[in-house]
Amino acid sequence: MATATEAKKRMVRINGCVASAQAAKYADVDVIAAYPIRPYTATMMALAQMVANGELDAEYIVADSEHSQLSISHGASSSGARVFTGSSGVGVQFAYELYSPISGSRMPVQMMIADRTLDPPGDFGSEHTDALSTRDMGWLMGWSCDAQEAFDNHLIAYRIGEDPRVLLPQMVCQDGFFVSHITGDVELPDMGQVKEFLPPYKHPYPLDPRHPVSHGPQIMPEQGPPLQLERARAMEESMPVIEQVHDEFAKIFGRRYDPWVEEYMTDGADVVFFLQGAHAVTAKFAIQHMRDRGMKVGLIRLRTIRPYPTERVREVLSKFKVVGVIETNMGLGSVSSGGVLYSEVCAALYESPQKPLVFSFMAGMGGEAIVLKEFYWMAEKMLEVQKRGKIEKRTHWVGFEH
Amino acid sequence: MPTIEVQRQLLPILGSPNQGARFFNPELPSTEPFVPGHRTCAGCGPSIQYRMTSKAAGDNTILVGPTGCMYVANSSYLCTPYNVPWAHTQIGSAGSFTAGVAAAYEAMIRKGKWKGAFPNIICEAGDGSASDIGLASISGALYRNHDCLIICYDNEQYANTGIQASSRTPYGGMTTFSPPGPEVPEGKKLFPKDLARMMAAGHPHCYVATASVGYPIDLMNKVRKGLNNKGASYLMVYTPCQKGFVYETPRSIDLGRLVVECGLYPMWEWNPEKRSYDYSFRPQTMRPVSEYLKLQGRFGHLHAEHVAKLQKFANEQWRMTGVELPEALIHAADAKNLVNMSAAAEAETVAQTL
Repeated sequence: MATATEAKKRMVRINGCVASAQAAKYADVDVIAAYPIRPYTATMMALAQMVANGELDAEYIVADSEHSQLSISHGASSSGARVFTGSSGVGVQFAYELYSPISGSRMPVQMMIADRTLDPPGDFGSEHTDALSTRDMGWLMGWSCDAQEAFDNHLIAYRIGEDPRVLLPQMVCQDGFFVSHITGDVELPDMGQVKEFLPPYKHPYPLDPRHPVSHGPQIMPEQGPPLQLERARAMEESMPVIEQVHDEFAKIFGRRYDPWVEEYMTDGADVVFFLQGAHAVTAKFAIQHMRDRGMKVGLIRLRTIRPYPTERVREVLSKFKVVGVIETNMGLGSVSSGGVLYSEVCAALYESPQKPLVFSFMAGMGGEAIVLKEFYWMAEKMLEVQKRGKIEKRTHWVGFEH
Repeated sequence: MPTIEVQRQLLPILGSPNQGARFFNPELPSTEPFVPGHRTCAGCGPSIQYRMTSKAAGDNTILVGPTGCMYVANSSYLCTPYNVPWAHTQIGSAGSFTAGVAAAYEAMIRKGKWKGAFPNIICEAGDGSASDIGLASISGALYRNHDCLIICYDNEQYANTGIQASSRTPYGGMTTFSPPGPEVPEGKKLFPKDLARMMAAGHPHCYVATASVGYPIDLMNKVRKGLNNKGASYLMVYTPCQKGFVYETPRSIDLGRLVVECGLYPMWEWNPEKRSYDYSFRPQTMRPVSEYLKLQGRFGHLHAEHVAKLQKFANEQWRMTGVELPEALIHAADAKNLVNMSAAAEAETVAQTL
């Protein structure tokens, strides 16, 4: 029987769910809180098997709800254990109450999310609304676009979240099905590399009978501002740590990620897509084909949305003439009457002396694949806007217009 | 992987008689994990309970406090009354947060990340948390048998929010969510959820017991039995609330006895080995429910017929614990023999000692 400590670096072909489970195993998590909901369930299935096989020594708890999953995680993390949990879609919402208490008590719980459209109706497909609706709860949050990146992001997120300068929970998101259930080549590291990168979790003030502390007592209104400010600062001050950790990850594992945005074929681009997650994979193919035909199209993929890299987004997007935000989330009645990314992009650009034209696309809703011809159609729209010098409207629903 | 065996604590059972309660007991540890200085009301039943249970548990203890009086009134930022680790959790997270703490210690001790005997992990959930919003989370923790003790400090209402009815509020109990009026003269129309029996029936592998602040030694022994049991235990403790029950402050302990003596709060233990109830606890006297009701403003609006209904309910509870009912109590379940509570103080009740 192979144990985690004997593992050597090797290539495997696994999907996003299993990659997340592998990452939890490599992180030697102590407590796992599971509850089934598609599509993330496969991660917990894989972990259950690892525990059953003796590959991972952890308390595997089958919770009675997502609310309990997050409460279990909160309790375990408060006691000093490294915790892994996860969910999808309405499950993410069911646990909503716990997001603020967990970040407020500065517990670096890690939650894997494989996105799923919210009800109604019961739809298994990926939409980012589930996780995005929690984006202001004080959790570090970002999307992976394939299984390898998912694996890496879990280790990176533990390292950032558990850093004593940060101490914040992390949502490590991947698109349901497009990442969670699509197989890809993943390099599993040598255990020594992980040990070098990710030291054991040590919270400075756990629930330990030898050093009694009280977590989360009632406050008076005048005690609120400093505590809220502290949490806001923790988010802000995590930014240099995030950069440093990505740097160290690259040194130890040989894969370098820009922590904030991935730029793809942006050299000489006039118009760019701005999106998160797995649709970037199709977008890249579409962009290659369009570039071959002389269209000056590029891609910006946001890798971390919380903390939001305002400066970086402004600096990167100011170079272009048109930005087309691909939403893959619902922001009913929002600024653009589309999704919620549009306003994040516009706000970042507001202080820029050189503002591109920004509008958005509602694409991939309900978990539909965004196919190549839809990317072509969107690119045409952006080029038309560039020519006209004016947007037609803030939100286009792809597939419902000519 | 080499794993370290988890060492558990074993707390001695106090030898003092169950019924005697108001004298110094040299067997009690001097430790005070719950110290004075909090903001609970004078005579607060849950606080008295808190002090007794934490004292019985000792210093290698972790307390979990779901939202409720024992969080809101006790734990003021920068001056909490807990001498052992304590954590607030959400009102619906009683069982789940506690399970997380227990699971963390199992894993950390086993993996050599924390050294020492497994701590006593106690959750102090109010009856709102335990019988309503956190019921599923507690059931989950009991079902999975985490090594912890979940206490429902039962003050029969949501008290810190300003006295609202919970599933544990007794029939006829006036709260701001069950006020009496011409259409609903009794106030609360429903009888309370039989929470402790529900826990015993649904999780028969757990130690489950009921207790009352009126019997401190019995309460502390049940706490220790619950903690000594390797696995999950559940304790439901009667803890009167002066603010909600509306009674004279010094009478908290008296109420804690009267509620048992009148049969409204049966005292029992569920033995997980024998899979049977232990009804051997017997109060020194039996009384009609009116003796208990008349001390509390929350029952002041009840008519004779409502008191009779409560007496009938109490009589059923006696029968369930195998007690032969004296004639006087059967007599007291008939409204003809009773008076309205507004007249109770002047009325001659049935004999007090039976």
